[in-house]
Amino acid sequence: MKDVLRILLAPLLWLASFSATYGLHGIGCALGWPEIALWGASVFRVALLTAWLVAILIQVAILIVLHSDRFRAASAFTQWASLATAWVGLVAVLWTVYPVAVITACGGNG
Amino acid sequence: MTALRRHRKLSAIWSSEPGFRGWFSSVNHSDLGRMFLVTAFFFFLVGGVLAMLIRAQLATPHSAFADAGAFAQFFTMHGTIMMFLFAIPTFEGLAIYLLPKMLGTRDLAFPRLTAYGYWCYAFGGSMLLVALVFGIAPDGGWFMYPPLTGPLHSPGINTDFWLIGITFVEISAICAAVELCVSILKYRAPGMSLDKMPIFAWYALVTALMILTGFPPLILGSVLLELERAFGLPFFQADLGGDSLLWQHLFWLFGHPEVYIIFLPAAGVISTIIPVMARTTLLGYGWIVASAVALAFLSFGLWVHHMFTTGIPLMGLAFFSAASTLVAVPTGVQVFAWIGTLWKGRPEMHLPMLHIFGFFFTFVIGGLTGVMVAVVPFDWQAHDTAFITAHLHYVLFGGFVFPILAGIYYWLPLVSGRKRFFRLGEVAFALIFLGFHGTFLAMHWVGLMGQRRRIETYDAETGWGAINLISSISSFIMAIGLAMVLIDVLIHAFVAVRGGRNPWKAGTLEWASMSPPPAYNFASLPHVTSRDAFHGDPGLANRLAKGEGYLGDPQSARRETLTVDIATGDPDFMVIYPGNTRLPILMAAVTGLFFLSILIKLYWLTPLALAGVAALALVWVWRLGARTDAGPQDAGRGVTLALAGETEKSPGWWGSVFLLVANATFFGSLLFGYAFLWTVAPGWPPQDWLAPSLVELGIGGAAALTSALAMRLAIRGNRHRARPLPGLAFALTATLVTAVTFAMLLSRVPPPDGHAYAATLFVLGSYALCHALIAGLMLAFAIARARRGYTSPARQAEFHIVSLWTDYLAVIATLSLLAAHLPGFLA
Amino acid sequence: MLAGAAAILALVLGLLLAAFRRRGTASDEAAGVKVWIIGLGFVFSMSVLAALTVYGLFAGQRLMPGAGAGVEAGVGTRVGADVVSVSAEARQWSWRFAYDDRPDHITDDVLHIPAGRPVDVAITTTDVVHSFWVPRLAGKLDAIPGHVNTLRIEADTPGTYQGLTAEYNGPGYRAHVFTVEAHDAQSWDAFVAGDRQ
Ligand code: HEM
Ligand SMILES: [Cu+2]
Repeated sequence: MKDVLRILLAPLLWLASFSATYGLHGIGCALGWPEIALWGASVFRVALLTAWLVAILIQVAILIVLHSDRFRAASAFTQWASLATAWVGLVAVLWTVYPVAVITACGGNG
Repeated sequence: MTALRRHRKLSAIWSSEPGFRGWFSSVNHSDLGRMFLVTAFFFFLVGGVLAMLIRAQLATPHSAFADAGAFAQFFTMHGTIMMFLFAIPTFEGLAIYLLPKMLGTRDLAFPRLTAYGYWCYAFGGSMLLVALVFGIAPDGGWFMYPPLTGPLHSPGINTDFWLIGITFVEISAICAAVELCVSILKYRAPGMSLDKMPIFAWYALVTALMILTGFPPLILGSVLLELERAFGLPFFQADLGGDSLLWQHLFWLFGHPEVYIIFLPAAGVISTIIPVMARTTLLGYGWIVASAVALAFLSFGLWVHHMFTTGIPLMGLAFFSAASTLVAVPTGVQVFAWIGTLWKGRPEMHLPMLHIFGFFFTFVIGGLTGVMVAVVPFDWQAHDTAFITAHLHYVLFGGFVFPILAGIYYWLPLVSGRKRFFRLGEVAFALIFLGFHGTFLAMHWVGLMGQRRRIETYDAETGWGAINLISSISSFIMAIGLAMVLIDVLIHAFVAVRGGRNPWKAGTLEWASMSPPPAYNFASLPHVTSRDAFHGDPGLANRLAKGEGYLGDPQSARRETLTVDIATGDPDFMVIYPGNTRLPILMAAVTGLFFLSILIKLYWLTPLALAGVAALALVWVWRLGARTDAGPQDAGRGVTLALAGETEKSPGWWGSVFLLVANATFFGSLLFGYAFLWTVAPGWPPQDWLAPSLVELGIGGAAALTSALAMRLAIRGNRHRARPLPGLAFALTATLVTAVTFAMLLSRVPPPDGHAYAATLFVLGSYALCHALIAGLMLAFAIARARRGYTSPARQAEFHIVSLWTDYLAVIATLSLLAAHLPGFLA
Repeated sequence: MLAGAAAILALVLGLLLAAFRRRGTASDEAAGVKVWIIGLGFVFSMSVLAALTVYGLFAGQRLMPGAGAGVEAGVGTRVGADVVSVSAEARQWSWRFAYDDRPDHITDDVLHIPAGRPVDVAITTTDVVHSFWVPRLAGKLDAIPGHVNTLRIEADTPGTYQGLTAEYNGPGYRAHVFTVEAHDAQSWDAFVAGDRQ
């Protein structure tokens, strides 16, 4: 089971951070965060960018941990597969959460 | 013992009852897999006839053949049948039939559960058929958006058939998924480590995990909508604090993964067939496994792309738009890996390969149009037009039907032991291929011209007539092709000449069984040393038949197999299966009674049926186990193994783990719904919150926690002193206290039909109460078992299973209490 | 987009067919992984898709009405005094339109707008889910009970545009249509002043 979990861990965390960011974005819009200025941007932007950064750091941390000797998997295949899915997690966080950096806050046909 | 005597002896132990009576009592995976497949293709036929009716109606402008009401039933039932009663069960049937053979073992983890799942499917599907025959079929579209499907706008019984019938069928999907997870992880031939598993097993594992996490949101949605319809709990009514968007989220949280639940098994079939047809091995096995896992996860981050037009802010849409394009990457990796496999070997054009070619052509187009609609502005135009219908058929027909047809032609010789001799299959393929593209290319086209989906007719001035006619004629050509496949298969199954073993020279183990395979699959279990176990070792089949593998010495009348360590594939325990029984069909019938009582509003019957299910469940588990320690067993080849019932992590334990995964997803979806309504729904806050009570919170949480801890005490008491009873009794008391707390909570909830808040609390409280009662029942059962001598320090498996459920109770009880009291504290 | 899709389809099918025609030496696993999985699977598909994603989002951004006030003022969107606000309320099976510029007036199944000016349509419903769609003016936007969604539309030239409902909403779905009348400045002023129905 540990071996299966090891393979699933990084994408699972991607899913969690992806949903959390989406939720945070919903709450931020509901509470009017885009209107509150902070550090040259808005609270909304800062909060979401922070969430993105945290998500990226988590994925990087997983990659580093999986590479370290202490947490190496027993079989070469599991080790390889978990590294592969860890990269999936990292790329997915970069790719799917990047709108927080470029898209207008809370606008849209809504 | 000669091979023939061994065959006779094993057959006597494993065979189902002869004749049609065997259908009702069989628990054999080959029987049930075939029954699943035949039933699923029967539904394919029904869904196909409905499709023909739709196309007949749309062939010409102002056709008067079906009115709007009938047409709505046609498209709703067509979509519903294809998705729930054809595609998913076909996967289940295929996996149930093939996996034990591919994995080199004798059956799945829980044979009786296989049968129960089948009967739930058959009965649930029949409910929908009845609705169709009587013209009271669901008519709100296959995604059933409320409020259209709510009590106010669809007062008839039509919608209830959908909600109840589909939930019933989903029980079978969950059963199959639990079973496949445990079977793939534990029930393999010794030596088959994870990296030596046939690729189809990986795909099936990923698919099964997706079913466990993808279906619960829909089950929750169906339960909530049925509660709204039957008892007026306003989850989806905006004026009472509900929100119809909640349904859309829950539905598509299921609905998008569903598409991949359908595609992944087909990809598994493709990955199995292509290397064989190209006389080589699969290119990038590890990459493909990683892609399948990636695909599974990414597909859970796409659901909002079905809701691009609901007014979600652009940034929200952007997340899902980006995720929707990213999901194409692992898909692309697989497609190119398959083509690379063909380049690596020397491909031959047999009939299965033709269908795989059909897959490539169709699926790639479907993928490309899919990427187009992932682009938000494009979707704002294309959404709800025939373009979308065309796109989804390219994906579903291309990504599922073509591969499955390939699979049918590939495995038919195994199932029947015969050779194909007519060339019917090639002609059929040509008709299907041309007919399909004629039908749906045309629909892309009228879609872009503005024809909406789900309209029952159109004006001649639109100029869509000719295109629709082309589409309809093509669809009849396709139907003729599909009918020819059916005839071909029937000829094959009953009259064709006998063929030899392994006609394709494949390397996977199913071909090392006989064709057709005997009930026990293998006279002895192989020791696997490579991924294509059968390739480098053509003598394997004979050696297995001679009993040179594991468990080759059927001493007693027991159905035996063994389990392995998940990662390494070293044998760890021996398993004794239950024999033929009618318990599964009986239990499915009583389960059906439960659903029926809700459907026709015979509410006095509902608790009786539930009690019946519980009673049968107790009989079900009571029949297992023994009253003496069996000790180590000889498994052949110098290996001795303990019985699974004498371990901590028995198959039942693993099954519970996966069932709880699904259960936790259900609970998580409920919490999501609660948070969603609270933050998004109009009409909040409610008039008053539940009065928070630290006492209730404290007692309930402490009691649930205590029951989990006491269960651990029971396990220790059993292990060291053979005295589990004090711990069990303690745990039972704590569980009952938990139940009482939740009963009190429920009595304090404001009227649940007044506001969605109260309705949600009501469901939350009932869920926890229900789990406290289940845990209580299990503890009472464990006490009875211990007193009757069914447990011992060695025979401890049952305690560990109960412990899982008390742990789960502790978690959900605490979370439910917190969620119920939190708003009150905040206010 | 269509041409790109056709090119990709041709590429995939070409490679597929070439596999059957090829009669050279079989390549080995490592080389295959490099070409097929890394090269085509990752590099090729990711670059195409990344381009498409970014393009799609910016195209969507341009179509947005001017939301995101304050610090987050929208980029590239038009917010200004010339925006006209109307509301659309759907029911089974008709549409009712009201006008901010002419508060006492309601029209059924005909929406009047000025041509050449952006119009924000506030969409909602009194019963089930519907969807507001004028194919030639903008994409769809749903009417959801309890919510108001705002869609920006703009007609370049005066005239009549066909509007449709685009979410299945029961047996009257097919005939649930409406028209949009786009007026030139003069006749719009007349409409607002109440000289025209
Ligand atoms: C046998 C060949 C098939 C034909 C000719 C066909 C035809 C059609 C047509 C014409 C519609 C559109 C109804 C409308 O919106 O006006 C439709 C809808 C649909 N089809 Fe099929 N179909 C076929 C097979 C399948 C398969 C294999 C699946 C899934 C595995 C499927 C799933 C669906 C779904 C989900 C819908 C949407 C239903 C709805 O709008 O509620 N179809 N089909
Ligand atoms: Cu989707």
